[in-house]
Amino acid sequence: MLEIVRQQMICIVAPGWGGGAEIPKQLHDALDALLEDVAVVHFASIGLLPALAGAPNQQPVLVLELAVEEGLRPYDLLYRLVYHPDGAMWTLFGAMVAPHVAVPTAKDKEQLLNQLMSWHSIAAGGFVGARDRSVRQIKMESDLLDQTRIEARKLKPKYSNDRTAFALALARWAYANPRFEWAVKPAPRSYWRGKGASIGAKLAYPVAAIVLWFVVLGIVWALPRAYNWFFGEPGHVGRAIEDAVTKTSECLLTMSWHGLLAFALIAFLVWLFLVPLPAQFVSWRRWLNSVQQELDRPTQTLSSLATYAGGWLIGVPLLLAVAACALAYTVAPLAYAVAPDYMINVVEPKLPKLTGLQIVGIAVVAIAAVLCIGALFYRLNRRFKKLSEQFFHPLEDDVPRAQQIHPSIERCEADLVDGTQHMFSLTELRGPPWWSAWCIRAALRIVTFAGRVFFTQGWLGNAPGIHFGHWHIIDNGRRFLFCSNYDGNFGGYLDDFINGAAVGTTLAWRWTELRPRAPALPEQPGIAKPRSFPPTRFVVFRGVKCELRFKSYARDSMLPHLYHFDACNRTVDQINLATGLRDALFGERNEKNDDLIMRVIET
Amino acid sequence: MKLSTYEPDALPPGVRRLSYGLFCWLNRHTTVLRAFGALLRHWPSVGGRLGLAARASAVRDVLTRTRSFSNTAHAANMVSGDYLIGMDPGPTYSADRDLVHARLAALDVPADSDAEAQQRIKALSGRGVGAFDLIDDYLMWVVFHAMRPLFGAATGAVVAGSATASAQGDVDEGLQRQYMLEIRYVAGQLLAGSLATLDLRRRAEACGDALQARIDRVSGPIGAAWGVKSASEDIERNAVGLAWISHPVTVQSGALIVQELLGRAKVYEELRSKAGRLGEPGVWTDPEFRKIVRNHVLELMRFRPIFPLLARDVPRDTEMKTGARYNAGCPGGGKVSLLSIAALFDPSAVPQSGRFCPDRDWGKNDALRYLMFGYGTRQCPARDHAVEILTSALIGLLTLPRLQLARGEGKAIAYDGPLMLRMRMRTT
Ligand code: HEM
Repeated sequence: MLEIVRQQMICIVAPGWGGGAEIPKQLHDALDALLEDVAVVHFASIGLLPALAGAPNQQPVLVLELAVEEGLRPYDLLYRLVYHPDGAMWTLFGAMVAPHVAVPTAKDKEQLLNQLMSWHSIAAGGFVGARDRSVRQIKMESDLLDQTRIEARKLKPKYSNDRTAFALALARWAYANPRFEWAVKPAPRSYWRGKGASIGAKLAYPVAAIVLWFVVLGIVWALPRAYNWFFGEPGHVGRAIEDAVTKTSECLLTMSWHGLLAFALIAFLVWLFLVPLPAQFVSWRRWLNSVQQELDRPTQTLSSLATYAGGWLIGVPLLLAVAACALAYTVAPLAYAVAPDYMINVVEPKLPKLTGLQIVGIAVVAIAAVLCIGALFYRLNRRFKKLSEQFFHPLEDDVPRAQQIHPSIERCEADLVDGTQHMFSLTELRGPPWWSAWCIRAALRIVTFAGRVFFTQGWLGNAPGIHFGHWHIIDNGRRFLFCSNYDGNFGGYLDDFINGAAVGTTLAWRWTELRPRAPALPEQPGIAKPRSFPPTRFVVFRGVKCELRFKSYARDSMLPHLYHFDACNRTVDQINLATGLRDALFGERNEKNDDLIMRVIET
Repeated sequence: MKLSTYEPDALPPGVRRLSYGLFCWLNRHTTVLRAFGALLRHWPSVGGRLGLAARASAVRDVLTRTRSFSNTAHAANMVSGDYLIGMDPGPTYSADRDLVHARLAALDVPADSDAEAQQRIKALSGRGVGAFDLIDDYLMWVVFHAMRPLFGAATGAVVAGSATASAQGDVDEGLQRQYMLEIRYVAGQLLAGSLATLDLRRRAEACGDALQARIDRVSGPIGAAWGVKSASEDIERNAVGLAWISHPVTVQSGALIVQELLGRAKVYEELRSKAGRLGEPGVWTDPEFRKIVRNHVLELMRFRPIFPLLARDVPRDTEMKTGARYNAGCPGGGKVSLLSIAALFDPSAVPQSGRFCPDRDWGKNDALRYLMFGYGTRQCPARDHAVEILTSALIGLLTLPRLQLARGEGKAIAYDGPLMLRMRMRTT
């Protein structure tokens, strides 16, 4: 399921670029024409990476980023691009595959295709904002939006106050216009945005998996019995098999029940601590907020250090203890099956015997204690103001606000100021690269999954305006490439990440660092001083919350693009608006649809 | 021209892969489909409820009621735009059908298919046969050369996708192969139907777009070769349609019949020994032998039809005669499916239907013999040409030493959905 998202964002990382820091105008136009004609590529960009330290070929590495429609396999896409008769792909890559061949034969093209396939990497993780829309659909819906606005201007004097009649008149106009025949069909939606949008549908998968597991166990348990019932009493071997199957399936069944129960209890506790308790008790809410605030605090203070230490001393052991209890409870049936005497005679006497009432009592007391401690700290804070100030005083300086931006990056941003912005960021994996790569991949799969299943309306968490954002681990796990096509400007974009999708962003970047590197070509940015990603706490906290440090880190990691293609040049909001208008104009006439039409034409 | 705007998959993840997998599996294991068909023939009312016709009389009935059961069911799977097979009758349909007949009249089969089959067999024997790919090294080319007159002098331009002087005449074999791959995937979508997974559908759409773009560039030379002065839109529609509908289906059919024949060792041996007795050039010139092989081709196709299932749209409420006591209601806006494979094995219409019997006397049901090409006015216009081409191809193979699937080095047959990509053979 994730592959369908990951293969929408491809990077071709081709070593040995012999051209300069600019794409010739002719090639630029040829690429535009090619991508326009093929009509499945939303965005494409070309950038240059410095060669890897120690690589045999020290020429720059050319990166072609392609963000394409859903469902296309990279091979099929590259096949279409390479075999296009205009030959732009050969002009770009030909010299790196077979130098001095101006007009390639079918064999040359096949060689190029194979080479591109070996150079290509699908995203390790990514997010697509305006989902389920093809390039052609966006263009057609944009046209519908523009035409509707023009028509609305004409009709406005007639229906100025009557919204319903106005919407009806527009809908009639749209229906009668043969140019919009295609729009009568509701805009297609993939499962998670359509029938599977409800929480129930999302829960159906894990629930079905659990039910299926129990059914399978039940069948396995029943099979030998059914056999015996059918064919009569079994012999020695048959009885032994029945015994083994019964024992194993019963043990697995009990373990599954225990596991499920433990999971449900933990889920309930998490919910209790995060939802009803903060809603009920102000002090609990304050305590929870302050813990998060301290863990996320960008500059070191005594308070944040104390929270961090407290986390290690109390939080982590507590969580480990809970996990250990859950694990022990889950595997207990196995232990009873394997060594029943040991469990009964040795382990059981050591276990505390508590009634349910006693357990509930202990839980209530623990909660009350946390509430009291929270309240006490709050009071102390207010009482001893001076002490508190020192407690919260930053112990270190932040990075300077002024940031040197390489002119090539500034130029790229200026070029795209009226359209979708683009970013290439190149960093290195820190620590043992295999471990960092593994962690990043796992984290990115989680982000991609969340984006695919839950964040289906164009926002990643609370971050809007991302068209295609994707991460690639390249060069055998040594470097990390991030490419993004987004609305607005760079600062605002990172703010959205910091405030809207902090955990995901920290997870994606925390295993990276910047090492000194020479620029790919003299006109390109290099890195003079090494630096690492802002420090994180408990994997997901802090990190990007160190705003200035994160922004300067991201800025320094950036590389300019030499070429950028944007098939539609619309913001995510505009795209969503146009699709909404299509569905509203051609949908049922009701308040909601009328409102949407009015909103669209007034925006 | 149709512009493909893809539709994302609205089914829950996993469901499509599962149903498509099942569909492909059934396509490859036609015995299961036949068994299922036998059940539906026995209880036609059950089929009726599911919108399925299985008895020969029922399938025939639906296929002849072209107004009540419309070919537009194909339209959704025609990724490179509208064409004859997915149209309702009308002036465009009639004009296009006339054009197909005119183009088919230009074919010179079996002369061309015989010549290419002989040449390819010679080349294979020349390199000591050993192992070869039935599709890539043989069938693809036999069909391609037999079909050349479809585009006549414009074939080179169509294959190269360019009207320049260098694209006249014979173009690079690599380009020809690439063109044939492109049309294979477009046709593949018609075979795979609406169950196809998104990536397969998208590949077909990409190839469909490429095919349209290619024909768009060479519609001038095509019009000149056809000697027609129609609007370029009409030329394009017909050229695109003819390109994908003609070649891949015939190649796949050829692969299916060879697969079926190899599974019937006795039949194969008998044919081979007949061929051996005649020797070269007798196998190619003896009309009696050709007739025998032709009958075999048809009987093999009966066991392995390329379209075991056909679909029809139901434009307005109607009833379908399934053979049950009561007709089955077919609500307008729905679809019905025809299990042609079940009809081809219906004992009430086909004597000794379960047996492999190439010289069966079909009596009054002779028309049913060609059911794998459809039936009635919408039957495949290239029926006889296709059978002749496949006959040439099979005769060629019969002149080779005994063949078998090249197992051992991975799978002999590589599938891509319901299509066969490769079928590796070797001589024993
Ligand atoms: C062994 C090869 C072939 C097989 C098994 C085959 C099979 C079929 C079938 C079953 C249909 C009817 C579909 C339906 O009723 O829904 C059909 C229609 C058609 N076939 Fe073929 N076909 C083959 C080769 C060809 C070739 C070589 C051409 C080349 C021109 C061709 C052109 C057509 C056309 C134009 C139609 C649409 C006819 C109409 O709807 O009026 N076929 N084919």
